[in-house]
Amino acid sequence: MAKLEASDAVVFGISIDSPAANNAFAQKIGVTFPLLSDMNRKVLKEYGILKMYNVQKEEYDWAQRTTFVVDKKGMIQSVEEEASAINPNNAVAVCTKLPKK
Amino acid sequence: MRSMRLKTLVFAAALAAGLIAGSIRAQEEHKVTHTSLKAGDMAPDFTLLDNQWKQIHLSDYRGKKNVVLAFYVLAFTEG
Repeated sequence: MAKLEASDAVVFGISIDSPAANNAFAQKIGVTFPLLSDMNRKVLKEYGILKMYNVQKEEYDWAQRTTFVVDKKGMIQSVEEEASAINPNNAVAVCTKLPKK
Repeated sequence: MRSMRLKTLVFAAALAAGLIAGSIRAQEEHKVTHTSLKAGDMAPDFTLLDNQWKQIHLSDYRGKKNVVLAFYVLAFTEG
């Protein structure tokens, strides 16, 4: 995370969980960046990453694990779909290469 | 006769184990959704509550910081 600060970036985790659940989760895993709640799945829809998960024959739409890097102009610099837990290292590498201004 | 019953039992157990394994796998199988956003597109703005109930606007970081958006499935899972 120190590397990320050096690359002039902020990190947000985003899921459909409530702020209360996210806060408990943040404390449990000790993350230092904010976790955002997309409870009505609005952002997931806009970013096109709602995914159907089948759990005991019922379908649930949650996020496809994806990491976006957005530069200072608001432009997407990279999109990466992750098979397992989020790994921010690649995003850090992308940020480090971005121009400082 | 007894071994027959034993075989049936073993078969039933194997079947049950198979069903359980199948249902666990079913949780992993899902329709994959791919984002249509790609490098070079503008990131859609959003306003969301953080874990301190504070509103975060993506646009607030315009001209100031690069932003990494890490979408995860559910809290308290492996991420």
